Amino acid sequence: MLTIEKIREGVGKCLVKAGTTYRADQFEAYRSAIGKETNKNARWVLERLVENAEIAEKGKYPLCDDTGIPHVFLEVGNEIDLPKGWLPAIQEGVAEGLRAMPGRPMAIKGNDVERVEQSGGLAEDPAAVVPPSMITKAVAGNKLSVTVLLFGGGPEIRAKTYRIYHKRSMKRVVEEAAGWVAAEVGGLGCTPGTVAMGIGRSHTEAAMRMVEAMRQGDLRKQSEWEMRVTEIVNATKVGPLGMGGDYSVLGTFLNVGPARASGVRIVCVRPCCCVEPRRATVSFDAAGNVTLE
Amino acid sequence: MKDEKASSRKEEGKTIQLETPISEEAVRALRVGDFVEINGTILCGRDAVLPKMVNLAESGDVKVLTLLRGSVIFHTAVSPAGIGPTTSGKLEIEGSIPALSKAGVKVHLGKGALTAETMEALKAHNSVFAVTPPTTAYFSAKMISQKVAMFPEEGMEALYEVKVKGFPAIIAIANGESIFSK
Repeated sequence: MLTIEKIREGVGKCLVKAGTTYRADQFEAYRSAIGKETNKNARWVLERLVENAEIAEKGKYPLCDDTGIPHVFLEVGNEIDLPKGWLPAIQEGVAEGLRAMPGRPMAIKGNDVERVEQSGGLAEDPAAVVPPSMITKAVAGNKLSVTVLLFGGGPEIRAKTYRIYHKRSMKRVVEEAAGWVAAEVGGLGCTPGTVAMGIGRSHTEAAMRMVEAMRQGDLRKQSEWEMRVTEIVNATKVGPLGMGGDYSVLGTFLNVGPARASGVRIVCVRPCCCVEPRRATVSFDAAGNVTLE
Repeated sequence: MKDEKASSRKEEGKTIQLETPISEEAVRALRVGDFVEINGTILCGRDAVLPKMVNLAESGDVKVLTLLRGSVIFHTAVSPAGIGPTTSGKLEIEGSIPALSKAGVKVHLGKGALTAETMEALKAHNSVFAVTPPTTAYFSAKMISQKVAMFPEEGMEALYEVKVKGFPAIIAIANGESIFSK
């Protein structure tokens, strides 16, 4: 039987896994890059990042000290009956995970002005770093899936959502958006990263599609358009830590949403850093079975 | 910190060991692209405290000047989550580099490119800029101890003294040259 205790505990473990573990496709992409990279400084950085991930997974240490802002993506099966209080249980699970990992206590206290001006002091509780409103998607089936993603600060200040005149060309849209990332990747510092890109009808939808791309993407399965974005960004030769090299990004995660009759598409891009996308998913079924991946 | 300034430049491609406090001679020998490992006590500070350190150093504060002489400043917060480089090109951080170099900082450790003006200031004061990946779990394994040195009211952004062994970095800017423009 699915209980709110199981949801809370599962989400807490999910957050810790997201912040302390590379996925199999990340390890594979890094090891492939180490084998092909010709720049010795770049190879040194790639090797350190893999070593870091191995230590993090073994010791349950955060991959990066910027443990990020938790974002939650829900997939709710249309046949599942959820226990009363399931949504607060997810919020409590996020808080438990932040305390357990631990997350960096970086929430600013105070009223609107104090928060903007960073004059209200810092909260000591890592759980004060509350997630924004959750993205919820209705799906077929009898499962609840909760994906926790941890968004670092560097990529956030270099992400962009804007319009592109498509002129009936996917190539034009993808290449212009890739150009935005190419212009920013040199300032990111924590490269090689992954490009996340969402295309939608509004800024909100494009951003949600971008998050969904981060949720679903696999560096081992790259589409023609994802490879094109990666190719454009890697042509900058920014390389790991910006010191030059063939791998400014390891791949691209693209999600295309519905479109409206219009000459423009709204595109959201985020140059994810070298530990991102930090994500993990926990799934619950009505019988109370819990799967963490 | 040790009085002994032990730094040895090994054959090409090998890692150079740096021990704090770092001597003028040891820094002068560093070249862009050198792999180094830092041993001893390093200072950790970022946006909130570095401008305060500049003000105190420029006012001749003896405690601060002693702390800075031959030092390594790592641009990071220190929190229960660990340590890791923040972007050194941020206004308050990069803006502090010339004055802190003049006050005796020998290695500024962070990430990202710096301006030509900052490169000139580093050269003028025989200081270098080194970069290190955001490998927090790895750093946690290299940290021996930590304590707040100044400005405890800044929380995770206070100035910390952290004792490390074999802390890895690459020299990114030295003698007016930059790894980012290669």
